[in-house]
Amino acid sequence: MLIWRPDHRPTSEGGRARAAARLALGLLLLALALFALALISLATGARAIPLENVWAALVAFDPNATEHRIVWDLRLPRTIVGLMVGAALGLAGAVLQGATRNPLADPSILGIHAGASLAVVLGVALLGMTQLSSYVWLAFAGAGLSMLVVYSVASVGRDGATPVKLALAGAAITAVLYAIINAILLTSPRTLDEVRFWQVGSLSGRTVDIALQVAPFLLIGALLALATARLLDGLSMGDDVARAIGQRVGLSRGLAGLAAVVLAGASTAAAGPIAFVGLTVPHVARAIAGPSYRWILPYSMLLAPILLLGADVIGRVIATPGEVQVGIVTAFLGAPVFMALVRRRKLAAL
Amino acid sequence: MFRAVAFTLALFTMTTLPGMAQGWHYVGGDGNAVELDAVPQRIIASQDAAAGLIPLGIRPVGIYADSAVADAKALQGLDLAGIEIIGQAWGEVDIEKAAALEPDLIVAEYWPLESTWSGGDDVVSALAPLAPVTGPEQGASILTLIEDYEALAQSLGADLAAPSIAAEKSAFQAALAEFKAATAAKPDLTALAVWAGADALYVAATAGSSELMDFANWGLDLIDPEVADDRGYWEILSWENADKYQPDLIMVDNRSDATMQTAMAQPTWTLMKAAQAGQVADWPAFWLRNYRVYASELAKLTAAIKAADADLAP
Repeated sequence: MLIWRPDHRPTSEGGRARAAARLALGLLLLALALFALALISLATGARAIPLENVWAALVAFDPNATEHRIVWDLRLPRTIVGLMVGAALGLAGAVLQGATRNPLADPSILGIHAGASLAVVLGVALLGMTQLSSYVWLAFAGAGLSMLVVYSVASVGRDGATPVKLALAGAAITAVLYAIINAILLTSPRTLDEVRFWQVGSLSGRTVDIALQVAPFLLIGALLALATARLLDGLSMGDDVARAIGQRVGLSRGLAGLAAVVLAGASTAAAGPIAFVGLTVPHVARAIAGPSYRWILPYSMLLAPILLLGADVIGRVIATPGEVQVGIVTAFLGAPVFMALVRRRKLAAL
Repeated sequence: MFRAVAFTLALFTMTTLPGMAQGWHYVGGDGNAVELDAVPQRIIASQDAAAGLIPLGIRPVGIYADSAVADAKALQGLDLAGIEIIGQAWGEVDIEKAAALEPDLIVAEYWPLESTWSGGDDVVSALAPLAPVTGPEQGASILTLIEDYEALAQSLGADLAAPSIAAEKSAFQAALAEFKAATAAKPDLTALAVWAGADALYVAATAGSSELMDFANWGLDLIDPEVADDRGYWEILSWENADKYQPDLIMVDNRSDATMQTAMAQPTWTLMKAAQAGQVADWPAFWLRNYRVYASELAKLTAAIKAADADLAP
């Protein structure tokens, strides 16, 4: 079964165990870093709140204290949504890259972002919806529907939904959907005005209700995604090899796609279409953890919220008294890091 | 002797000829005079000019709006039957429809800070070849603006003494007297005008809005924010700082119902004691152009001022 590991990873049992221990320790460190970042996120904002009051708000909440309410009602939901959305985006990107064996795959390539955006734009333009909470279901439905269309288009023909056909169908459907979105936005400035903040991707104004609305989907999606790790490892060797070792290729790809659409759809519903995280984080995870999706998936799940929440914290403080949307900061912050990574090491091919 | 005769003759021509030839003369808000051989009949109006002129009996043949007509607060409640809508977005106008209307005059509002007319330069350069563009200037008072519309409408042939038009004016004057009495009765009451977005709370500068300047002139104590925004109209407060100002009465921009919904959806909206106590009223932001709507908005504000506890905030 050496064919399982056609790479440079240690093959002796002892070496493999040491590598696994090292990677597990890495995960633990990332989890600690993420926890620290979450605390920083609770302590950071447009209003200066002393650390002891932030702590008091968490352990001894007093509904009459203004600072406690700000920590509890604004920063905590925002931090939770940031953690959930970040983890979902990282997982969705990794799963999609694995399932389509396309290093450029991310939630935007399969029409998920475009579908969610179109649904929200239509809801604002035709139904007059204006509140974030009403966008959630629209975005979710739009993401699912467009993913379904992409998948059906790609499935036509003898080979079924191959990675290349999925990517092409996704690109084509995305182009069509964005054409419709732009046509609506150009002719309806009111709609543009309503959705422009949503479209950039933002964590501000997210309440507990929004977190609760999407939480079940993110949980199911995350469990499903983590469960596909072994299938993704099989697919990464190519469809023929995967079939030869007894894997049902179509089913694997379908399950992985389902996990990705639930994750990406729910995260887009909560925070708007954030493009960069799902694309880059899995590459960083792969650079650290090697080619096995059993490690890539948990690493992506922890690295992505670090990027997203870190970017959000920075966005809150660099433009006081206003804020910079997290979608903008992630791109500004993430792109140079990603470029440095690409230059320093040869990224693993898929 | 000859000069005296010539002077008399000149004076005579100046005073009588315009009347005899049915010519039309108007000095617009930009300071430029418009001279026409006849009183213009076919008028294309911006949405604000239409909202000013229609209640005075001057009906344009076409209107260009800044948004879909259904969303144009200024046009609400006006009879637009038979008037062609030639634009439904800021900066856009259907030039073919405009030309087909064969206008004699374009009436818009002059924006002194931007040195352009309602709709912006694109609209002006599209419409100016069809007919002269003129209209009153936006300034420090909606009341003055309405009076400018009265003068313009009169020159266009409106009968301001008509019973329905005169009745609206006297109803406004009564509403204004009530408003002044209400503010005089509560000299300690402070008010804050805001627009609420999901990203932040926007606090309005009094000097950025003609009706706020009117309210201040009529005795309402409006809190003026520290404006950091370079456009000079708003102070943008993160929702974490929503309690920076503590007014007794909050006035929320009522151009769109969504603004109030957005405000109420923010957990920290009620950090303002006035929001907690329900002392919240409508701010008719930027859209008042005639006595009828001004009277009804003033009446709502007067009721809110009378009902408000003026000692809510320090």
